[in-house]
Amino acid sequence: MSLIDPVRPLYPFAAIVGQERLKTALILNVIDPSLSGVLIRGEKGTAKSTAVRALAALLPDIAVVEGCPFQSDPDDLKAMSSEVRARAAAGERLPIVTRRVRVVELPISATEDRVVGTLDLEHALTEGKKRIEPGLLAAAHRGILYVDEVNLLDDHVVDVLLDSAAMGINVIEREGISVSHPARFTLIGTMNPEEGELRPQLLDRFGLCVQVEGLTVPEQRVEVIRRRAAFEADPDAFRLSWAEPTEALRARIVSATALRSQVVAEDEILLDIANRCLATGVDGHRADIVMLKTAKVLAAWAGRDKVVATDLDEAQTMVLPHRLRRRPFEDVFRPDASTATFRAGLDHGKMI
Amino acid sequence: MTIRSGTVYPFAALCGQERMKLALLLTAIDPMIGGVLIRGEKGTAKSTAARGLAALLPPLAEGKAAPFVDLPLGATEDRVIGSIDLEAALAEGRASFQPGLLARADQGILYIDELNLLDDHLVEAILDAAASGVNRVEREGRSLTHLARFTLIGTMNPEEGDLRPQLLDRFGLAVAVSGEGDPVTRVALMRACESFERDRDAFAGVWAEAQAALAGRIVHARNALPHIALSRPMQGFIAEICRRNHVAGHRADLAIARAARAHAAWDGRDTVTAEDVTEVAPFALLHRMRGATPDMSPPPPPPPPNQSPESDQPDEDGGEVGSTLSPPPLAEPTGDSARGGAEDKDEVQAIGAAFTPRPLGPTPRDSVLRTGSGRRARSLSASRQGRMVSSTPRRERDDIAFDATLRAAAPYQLSRRAEGPGLAIRIRPEDIREKRRERRVGSFLLFVVDGSGSMGAHRRMVETKAAILSLLLDAYQKRDQVAMVVFRGTGAETVLPPTGSVERAARLLADLPVGGRTPLSAGLVEAARLLDRVERRDPATRPLVLILTDGRANAGLGGGPPHEEALRLAAALGHRFAAARFIVIDTEPPGLIRLDLAGRLAAALAAPCLRTEDLRAEDLVHFAKEFQS
Repeated sequence: MSLIDPVRPLYPFAAIVGQERLKTALILNVIDPSLSGVLIRGEKGTAKSTAVRALAALLPDIAVVEGCPFQSDPDDLKAMSSEVRARAAAGERLPIVTRRVRVVELPISATEDRVVGTLDLEHALTEGKKRIEPGLLAAAHRGILYVDEVNLLDDHVVDVLLDSAAMGINVIEREGISVSHPARFTLIGTMNPEEGELRPQLLDRFGLCVQVEGLTVPEQRVEVIRRRAAFEADPDAFRLSWAEPTEALRARIVSATALRSQVVAEDEILLDIANRCLATGVDGHRADIVMLKTAKVLAAWAGRDKVVATDLDEAQTMVLPHRLRRRPFEDVFRPDASTATFRAGLDHGKMI
Repeated sequence: MTIRSGTVYPFAALCGQERMKLALLLTAIDPMIGGVLIRGEKGTAKSTAARGLAALLPPLAEGKAAPFVDLPLGATEDRVIGSIDLEAALAEGRASFQPGLLARADQGILYIDELNLLDDHLVEAILDAAASGVNRVEREGRSLTHLARFTLIGTMNPEEGDLRPQLLDRFGLAVAVSGEGDPVTRVALMRACESFERDRDAFAGVWAEAQAALAGRIVHARNALPHIALSRPMQGFIAEICRRNHVAGHRADLAIARAARAHAAWDGRDTVTAEDVTEVAPFALLHRMRGATPDMSPPPPPPPPNQSPESDQPDEDGGEVGSTLSPPPLAEPTGDSARGGAEDKDEVQAIGAAFTPRPLGPTPRDSVLRTGSGRRARSLSASRQGRMVSSTPRRERDDIAFDATLRAAAPYQLSRRAEGPGLAIRIRPEDIREKRRERRVGSFLLFVVDGSGSMGAHRRMVETKAAILSLLLDAYQKRDQVAMVVFRGTGAETVLPPTGSVERAARLLADLPVGGRTPLSAGLVEAARLLDRVERRDPATRPLVLILTDGRANAGLGGGPPHEEALRLAAALGHRFAAARFIVIDTEPPGLIRLDLAGRLAAALAAPCLRTEDLRAEDLVHFAKEFQS
């Protein structure tokens, strides 16, 4: 299982220099997992992976049914596997363990059956019974699914990922197995746009998108080197020295999470959102919905119970850029008089 | 709108999207309409509406709720169609049939999100069952037929590439959706979504009454359906609409007739009127009209409004598909014909002539598809990546398909057990099956196009574009990836990054200008950069690179005379990407003196060189195909 190694010391999130937008986007997703993830675009060596891995230490604890490979939530019927649900319905007292929310890494080379889950062959051969061997989507339920270089992922894997991300349910219909289990996860992807664009469909599935760049202020760059050196020399001491800011950050996340459900947005704010989305020309309505949610979480993060226009300004920078319609080619190139010719040719060719 | 749990967003609570809702309701009233394809941009409640519809369907005779079956993209063929029951085989040594998703969807809804991403062979099997209402299984030496009367609902986003026309035609109705343009509706939508997410059960409670009313109306309409009359004039009207819109075959007629009757039933009338027909006709025509796919002008154009049999507008109809037969419309000339005038028409004809003989007709297309699947078979993944499409008894790699192996061994278990003690399951070498895996992206076409001023002479660009276009059509059917680099003026640019959307490429091609100098070197460098990226992304790809130029390089990168520099770069390019295949297409105009600069470029690349005389579309397509295989 590609869980991020808990033994390897994690660089403290609070100690990351700069990259405020990236940090905000990640924290917003911790506060409200229904924001459905972050896409981090940027060049190599801009603390993308460090930030995501460090996030694990900030995540809240969750209660999980012990021994359940699907991370069933003992308090929510909808977040249970069918097996656990049956046990709960039979009146069984479910054994519960509390653990940190997981960051599950999906390697680029992952095959479809490892992601979705497949037939447990050993069980089938020794017991004569079918059983599912859960995949990464099961492991990531109620957690974070992290895909480094998401734009290099195999097309098939992207398709199944989209399917589950959209529904919050992983449906396995393969190799004689027919199972579905809840798979609600926060999708965090990184990509370097130079290596090729992501398909628009997948782009849209990421709630937020942030662009990261190398730091340009010399003092900040020096600070990065200094902290990194200190961390590598003695990770434990470094983490200890950052314990206080880390704790403060965690406390702020907890209070923002509590406040979030009370945040209200007036009608004018909603109208403002609709107009911003219409003005920039995005497809569909997902942008509206995500922008409203993001603005609410931003308000909660600022300790307010009401969305204000500046929340929208900030939310917009993370919600809209990756949803803009691609610039039409007509703007880039001079329209040619032969347009009609080739349209007719295409139709003609199709019909012969 | 993303639904993230078992509680479904109520259909009655959907804001806007009236056309989509109507199409879904019609198919709920009469499942024999043949399914609905919802085409549209992302985030327009396509999935939400389809899932919501299931909750409105009346329960089956036995009192069970009508099934709603979600077919995931990762489904394997055995689970869709059905196959031998593994457990029965293992435990009892009995070969019994385990029904698949098609059986489970009987009398309910089979829903496929992102249908265009599903493997073509699965789509075909599903459409076969949808049309006939039965599923025929021929697997593992068993043959069986069972009922599969389901309503097929598929969604797709055309950005991801379109369905093949044959598959499109088999959907009864299609509807195009796009986002709401009215801010107030969008606000209402956000509010609804907000309260749904806050408390799903309370939200469902608020809408319970409206839901019940809708469900009741569906039942009522279903009961009334057998008594709805479709008069002879109305039948004639339907036929006329289909004829006018040049749809092939009779599926559109049948779909309109059924949908119009369902519409009348929905409105509580017992006779089909002209309004019923005009209301539902666009649903049946959208995906069957010429030019509706690939989608050339977003959003997909609605069919011409043939409001009533009286309003004859032959001119407009003729203008819709190409003005070879009827005079051009006087009333509203399109922007293009207004600009181009008579010259445009000449070009239409020239290209038509070039295309007519072959190879895109029905019979040749069939053979194209066969070689297409043959090519796919050869490009079956050698690594253990890709998805399993079937199993084979041939042993080549250590990639055993256990389920198929067990199925093969299952029938013999009892007899083998009688032979003496041993393992619980007796598997012999002849039982072993291997996985055959397939990688989806088969080939990649890179066009490197000379857009310099010299290409504009003698209408060379017109023929060049025609050639590219025919290759694009081929790529469209084969689901290839395409990319395009154009060099002109001062440099080269990747105008089309690798994409599966051939529509984008075609649209781009149409508007591609010519002018300026010929920076061939820059074009080659840009091509190398792109190939490198593609190779890194998928080392198994064997790109086909088509360089369309007259070879008259006159702008270099500073490495000596432009033409020599280009030749050196070409040699390096051919060497570096040995797996790629290059074809140079010489667009030099015919004349007394031929410089054959393109020929020298081809030699440097160790690539074949086609002359413009050979540049008839069908030759190029065949040549490219030969070369690929």
